[in-house]
Amino acid sequence: MGKPTGFLEVKRELPGKRDNKDRLNDYYEVEGEVNNDLTNKQASRCMDCGTPFCHHGCPLGNNIPEFNDAVYQGNWKLAYDILISTNNFPEFTGRICPAPCEASCVLGINKPPVTIEYIEKSIIEKAFAEGFVTPRIPSVRTGKKVAVVGSGPAGLAAAAQINYAGHSVTVFERADAPGGLLRYGIPDFKLDKRVLDRRLEVMKAEGVKFVVNTNVGVNYKVKKLKDEFDAIVLTGGSTIPRDLPIPGRNLKGVHFAMEFLTQQNQRVGDKKISGSDIWATDKHVIVIGGGDTGSDCVGTSNRHKAKSITQIEIMPKPPKDRTESMPWPNWPMILRTSSSHEEGCDRHWSIITKEFVDDGKGNVKGLKVVDVEWKAVNGKMQPTEVAGSEREIPCDLALLAMGFLHPQHEGILKQFSVDLDDRGNVKANNYQTSVEGVFAAGDMRRGQSLVVWAISEGREAARAVDKYLSDGVTLLEAKEVGTLNLA
Amino acid sequence: MEVGGVYQWKQRGEAHLFNPQTIHLLQESTKKNDYQLFKKYSSLINEQGEKSITLRSLLEFKKGNPIPIDEVESKESIFKRFATGAMSFGSISYEAHKTLAIAMNRIGGKSNCGEGGEDEMRFTRLPNGDWENSAIKQVASGRFGVTSYYLTNAKELQIKMAQGAKPGEGGQLPGHKVDEWIGKVRHSTPGVGLISPPPHHDIYSIEDLAQLIFDLKNANREARISVKLVSEAGVGTIASGVAKAHADVILISGHDGGTGASPISSIRHAGLPWELGLAETHQTLVRNKLRGRVVVQTDGQIRTGRDLAIAALLGAEEWGVATAALVTAGCIMMRKCHLNTCPVGVATQNKELRALFTGKPEYVVNLFNFLADELREIMAELGFRTVNEMVGQVDFLEPKEMEDHWKYKSLDLSPILYKEPMSLDTPLYKQEEQDHGIETVLDRTLIKKAEAALKNATAVQGEFKIANQDRTVGAMLSNEISKIYKGEGLPADTIHFKFKGTAGQSFGAFTTKGVTFELEGDANDYFGKGLSGGRLILYPDKSITYNPSKNIIVGNVAFFGGTSGEAFIRGMAGERFAVRNSGVTVVVEGVGDHGCEYMTGGKVIILGDTGRNFAAGMSGGVSYVWDVNKTFVRNCNMEMVLLDTIDEDEQRWLKQLIKKHQELTNSDVAAHVLSYWATAFKRFIKVMPVDYKAVLDKQKKEKNVLLN
Repeated sequence: MGKPTGFLEVKRELPGKRDNKDRLNDYYEVEGEVNNDLTNKQASRCMDCGTPFCHHGCPLGNNIPEFNDAVYQGNWKLAYDILISTNNFPEFTGRICPAPCEASCVLGINKPPVTIEYIEKSIIEKAFAEGFVTPRIPSVRTGKKVAVVGSGPAGLAAAAQINYAGHSVTVFERADAPGGLLRYGIPDFKLDKRVLDRRLEVMKAEGVKFVVNTNVGVNYKVKKLKDEFDAIVLTGGSTIPRDLPIPGRNLKGVHFAMEFLTQQNQRVGDKKISGSDIWATDKHVIVIGGGDTGSDCVGTSNRHKAKSITQIEIMPKPPKDRTESMPWPNWPMILRTSSSHEEGCDRHWSIITKEFVDDGKGNVKGLKVVDVEWKAVNGKMQPTEVAGSEREIPCDLALLAMGFLHPQHEGILKQFSVDLDDRGNVKANNYQTSVEGVFAAGDMRRGQSLVVWAISEGREAARAVDKYLSDGVTLLEAKEVGTLNLA
Repeated sequence: MEVGGVYQWKQRGEAHLFNPQTIHLLQESTKKNDYQLFKKYSSLINEQGEKSITLRSLLEFKKGNPIPIDEVESKESIFKRFATGAMSFGSISYEAHKTLAIAMNRIGGKSNCGEGGEDEMRFTRLPNGDWENSAIKQVASGRFGVTSYYLTNAKELQIKMAQGAKPGEGGQLPGHKVDEWIGKVRHSTPGVGLISPPPHHDIYSIEDLAQLIFDLKNANREARISVKLVSEAGVGTIASGVAKAHADVILISGHDGGTGASPISSIRHAGLPWELGLAETHQTLVRNKLRGRVVVQTDGQIRTGRDLAIAALLGAEEWGVATAALVTAGCIMMRKCHLNTCPVGVATQNKELRALFTGKPEYVVNLFNFLADELREIMAELGFRTVNEMVGQVDFLEPKEMEDHWKYKSLDLSPILYKEPMSLDTPLYKQEEQDHGIETVLDRTLIKKAEAALKNATAVQGEFKIANQDRTVGAMLSNEISKIYKGEGLPADTIHFKFKGTAGQSFGAFTTKGVTFELEGDANDYFGKGLSGGRLILYPDKSITYNPSKNIIVGNVAFFGGTSGEAFIRGMAGERFAVRNSGVTVVVEGVGDHGCEYMTGGKVIILGDTGRNFAAGMSGGVSYVWDVNKTFVRNCNMEMVLLDTIDEDEQRWLKQLIKKHQELTNSDVAAHVLSYWATAFKRFIKVMPVDYKAVLDKQKKEKNVLLN
């Protein structure tokens, strides 16, 4: 710990975001650039706890107090070494992680927590700027070949780690470029795709092969994959969105969020648009679902210059601060206001949509909604409609952002005949599926979750694969086994 | 080097019983009074066999003859067997300290004030009936704040021979944690660091310990005297000696008892698990038929009912719970106790941080309820109706099956599980009271004689013959005064007793305000030990033919741990004079080696030679040495002090004091010094601790600024 009294002297501070006027006219990142003097000061707030709850709260088990100290000491190279030893992609988590570490930071008991996520971003940006990030090419190749199917964060993490173990990795991606949701889900204003490409270049230099426009099970035979590779990792994500099967669902102007978001990412990336254009421009946009995907729809609609944007959520409005039922260091279900919300949007809670209303020409013109009240029934909270609250609200574009159910079963999963769990995810205890040599990780295994969990899953799956290929031995770093050498 | 995990919990490092999960579960369950949640916590703590954290995880209970749980001793009766750990006010904040005290007083258990003294305001109950008084008052090597009144307000007096986490080492309170309040309670100077010496300067043998036990029993007859030992090889033999020295309680403290401020080299590498020391102690005491005379208590990371049950079966009828209680009160194991930056207001004196303390006595009460519940469940399962019948029944324990484990399979746990052969009437738990030998002490006569003073503060005088069997004269009398007149005592000289003869050990120990003892003759060791405001005058028998200023008339370790009062001694004193003095003003005519060691306050005037190593570790107070033989400079330990000049105000004060000495003791040396004052004064050397001087200078400057 650089400064024992840092937390008493320095207040939590972030570089701030770009001005609203400015940022609504482009798709560049909203967050301001890193300021290393600020980072250094912020790192001094870390108390180097005897029991670092942040380190427990982080799904990757990042050694947070250690890299904070290194940053405070100005030893960026050491900070980078510590960070990269547990996290393959700090440039992603430093931007789009909800930071469970900060929720469990001990300082957070009674003060604003340490800006861990921002410090993480600072370290990796400094590392790229200073040239610390060099391809780590394995000195020995085992001759074993591994296929990773799906190039989202779980697939990329698994590929990077398996490659470090000396196996030759090929990543298959059905889209025209690797990245999964990092590329075609998360808007550029939260994660600039140049950040993703920069990492892919490093991975390519390390020896990871990427095969795109290849949908295994559709235009690439599963049998061929099995024949060519010694092990296969399935990281296809949780891609089937939750639908809203109510009257009018088939009207024009009712879309899944991901159709809308993917198109915009394609536009920013100068790619061909899939499907017919969906624009929010001059429309009354209603986003159904109050989560992060919904928030991304809000931000994108604002950049499209929508006439109005409303986000509705079935759950009640969460409290502003922690309540007794969600004490520190647990993840608090509190009201979160994203940069997209700040840019402008009406938010409503405890609302159910009953019907999409037809304008007579097959287009949606409004939503019939009703307020609900949440009451405990047999100990479980249940919604009941509030009589007389039915109403219609104008809507020209409805975006369904109600989460994802499970991975797509048609295609690769069916053809491999891997067992599924009760929720329809791939059943893979210890990352091993019911089919020998086939592993699964990320949302495909655990259901929809965070990028940081995807990376963690990819890393742990890599250990399972390495053990499978190397007679039960692996030297890859794990969540509970360290290999960081700081000598 | 790995990231580690030895001194800090790490996901990829060494396993710790307290980790984010268990800390959270303990805090939540006690806050919400949710026993089921506590069960989750305790099963996580108990199920650590594979991680080799504790010895007890290798043991399991044999099947007993279960009985209905309502036949088991009540929770309330079990509460009396609980104590919290010795954590001083100073190391932890007032808020944390009083929370533990209030909680323990609510359930009838005992909190431990630690070695830092206790603010006298806490001895009186609060209007709502709560009580911040710590039932256990510790008497440690530093003797901080150990006064007659302090001792009077204890249910148990604990002599800390060692600490589990740092046996053989003293504590240290860094200067930045000594604020005004701590300084007052410890009778020291704010801002000046405080060192607890490694040994007790009045204990070098088991006889010395017996003497201290006797002293304390005289200072408070109602309190039981406890001796805290550390689990180590051979502790059984030591415990037997301690039992013979008439301790009422023996505490066997385990190595993993946590002190956040232990030296980093000790936390891991000193002491042994309590399972070993406790088993050995119990077995040895039983073998020597001493077990029935003492309560055996154990502590060291006791966290669950299972821990309590195993401790009882291995031979303990009481338990200390420290870290778990502190975590319940909000500690999140920062392990920054030495930096004064505890962010939850537990181990800090920083006002801003103390305000962030959120612990409540209710939570701690819940913890002990849960612990007692769990213990009772196990007792019912094993078929024990009382804790007493459970003590030492090791045959209810057996080693876990661990043949598959590479490391455990060669362990032999039979020495722990050994049961000493015994007859049916051999006591296995405390059944008889120790004979402390205080029924006929001289103080009983003194108390009678002082009746008028005790009742109405009327002045009384008396004369008594004294012999060396009369030990600890004054402590019991002072105890009576403290009971009535509290810390203020009586007006000066209300009781003036004169003694003639050779005083036994600890003459004038803990003598409080309003008492003057005049002794004509000589005295043994520990003269004026823990002097608490009284006045002691000693001069040799009028008929002597030797020169008192060249002869020792008072033994070793005089005025050890004195907190206030004054004394005048015509003649020389032995070694270790005024060690850990924190407020006594004393005039003497020569001292042996190690004078004024670890002194933190008071004034010591020496009209003659000193021995070697004078002022070692002295961080406060002032000493004036009349160095007529020019030997002092080579005898003074200059590590922490400087030799200073004496200003005019001081000179006047010094002369007056020497005059008083001459009048009270008829001292030749004093008469000589006074008659040749102008030249004699030049031979005085002022010994001043460096840090102390800096703090005083700063105070003076601040005062001047205020005046201007």
